[in-house]
Amino acid sequence: MKKIFTITMRDIVSSLRDSMIIYIIIFPFILAVILRMMTSSVGATTVNIAVDNSIDSTMVEYLEDFGNVETFDSIERVNKRVNDTDDVFGLTKKGLTYSIIQEGNERASSVDLLEYMVSSYENQNLDLPIEVEVSDIGWNLSPIKQYGGNLLIVFISVFGGMIILINLVEEKQENTLSAVNVSSITRTQYVIGKGLLGFMVPIIHSIGILAILNYGQINYLMVIVVILCIAMISVLIGFLIGVTNDNILGAISSMKMLFIPILGSIFGAIFLGSQWHYLLYWSPFYWAFNALNSIILKEATWSGVLLNCSIIILITGIIFALLSKKIKRGLN
Amino acid sequence: MIKVENLFYSYTKDSKYAVDDVNFEVAKGEAFGFLGPSGAGKSTTQGILTGLLPMQDGLAEVAGYNMKNPSRKMFNKLGVSFEQSNVYGKLTALENLEFYRKLFDVETIEPNVLLEIVGLSHVANKKASTFSKGMKHRLTFARSMLNKPELWFLDEPTTGLDPAIANQIKDVIKEKSKEGSTIFLTTHNMFIADELCDRVGFIIDGVLKLIDSPRNLKLKYGQKLVDIEYKDGNEIKKDSFSLIKEEERLKLNHIINNYEIELMHTKEATLEEIFIKVTGRGLV
Repeated sequence: MKKIFTITMRDIVSSLRDSMIIYIIIFPFILAVILRMMTSSVGATTVNIAVDNSIDSTMVEYLEDFGNVETFDSIERVNKRVNDTDDVFGLTKKGLTYSIIQEGNERASSVDLLEYMVSSYENQNLDLPIEVEVSDIGWNLSPIKQYGGNLLIVFISVFGGMIILINLVEEKQENTLSAVNVSSITRTQYVIGKGLLGFMVPIIHSIGILAILNYGQINYLMVIVVILCIAMISVLIGFLIGVTNDNILGAISSMKMLFIPILGSIFGAIFLGSQWHYLLYWSPFYWAFNALNSIILKEATWSGVLLNCSIIILITGIIFALLSKKIKRGLN
Repeated sequence: MIKVENLFYSYTKDSKYAVDDVNFEVAKGEAFGFLGPSGAGKSTTQGILTGLLPMQDGLAEVAGYNMKNPSRKMFNKLGVSFEQSNVYGKLTALENLEFYRKLFDVETIEPNVLLEIVGLSHVANKKASTFSKGMKHRLTFARSMLNKPELWFLDEPTTGLDPAIANQIKDVIKEKSKEGSTIFLTTHNMFIADELCDRVGFIIDGVLKLIDSPRNLKLKYGQKLVDIEYKDGNEIKKDSFSLIKEEERLKLNHIINNYEIELMHTKEATLEEIFIKVTGRGLV
């Protein structure tokens, strides 16, 4: 265990002195922040309403079909909530009159929407010459947030493999692998020590991304299990390219080829009709994307997640069987 | 400590052998020099003996371990100094040694002590990437001593070093040899082999041509002559005398007794001359 930790620690120290690796570590968080800024403006199209106890529960339920409703026990607390930095409208009722409370800098279209909701609720029993039906198209989250965060997490699972690759190419360039090979560390200890970063980095990345994008109470343990599984394929490819290259830029270019199946699988999963999804079953990234999607939507079950993970492990196992000889040769 | 029997190795896995039916033994505590020009098969043999190249045919035992299936524990007894320095450029000299010492299961020497021995203590906390070639080479050499090796493989330990540093390194090797370490020295530098080794083996085109002590080789292949320069009046005269022929020995004695001697040296053969005589090839 000490030797495994020694190998990992060396790679961490070496990585923190490499500007390319530092960039690889920071980059996903920057992307997550940009995504967060984009999804914030998308989220602003939702109406947020603060109501006091003058609004009855039936109306609260009605309003919840259209926006986010927060209830308070007094008008003072509603006013206080409206004064917060985000866009929230206050709604209160005195007699038959509704009052909308706003700071003044809210979007005009949102006020119109709230007025429409109140009017629509009060006139539910009115006979109209036309029939109006309100429905949704099944989105629980903004698509940018739902798919963007998921895509980012699957995409950055490659970065751990990339760090392994850079450290291995460095070993090749400096011929330090020979020196390790004449010490008493076993090949298994060395590979585990080298591979650990390939799992640690994506886990840190994905938890950071989920926290930045604020998906709320999702099951982080499920996320970690999925990340551990999908990182295996990147670690495997990282080892393969790392031991067969002695040029960092060439090696990274080879690793970038992995982006094609990743992006292909994810965009396929998003845009193809479900009857065509069988075309993506070969890709472990498709299964990871699927699993993460259900976790983000809080619809995931352990059996579903573990089934997806089993498929990822099976595909990775087949790829390992095909590549293991080449990796072993390269480590000599 | 090392036993090699009928060792063959081919990079192309056919009959073009880089090591061709090599046999030798190195006793515990012995300093053995493996000499030959570039491409002779020295590094290949060392590669097999250090486990860096797989065994193909023959027998090789190192520190009691069969190299067909060596245990990782064997490396606790071995030290290997590579011809090409191989250290982590992003780590400091001290970090390099601290890293490697943790990969052994046996007691190791304090890295600072080793850096002092090889004259690198003043740059202990500098990144190895900033080092000159000679400094990297010394760091590689220092690393090979970390685990107090019983058997020490040294591949061209002084190549590319300036004479003062090369002497420092030679002194360290001599000291370790005196302490009882077994040394397997691979070099094409005959002067170093002559100075450091108890026995030497000449290898060329993968074939081990001969093994003997430098002294025996000199006695066997050297010409027993003395070259002399002396003053005869105002004239400087040069002459050579056989130490075997009685008549010439008397002549030499006469010159020593009656003239002012300017220069005199025995004409013993160098290992390089012996190598050329035995193999018909030079050492470069």
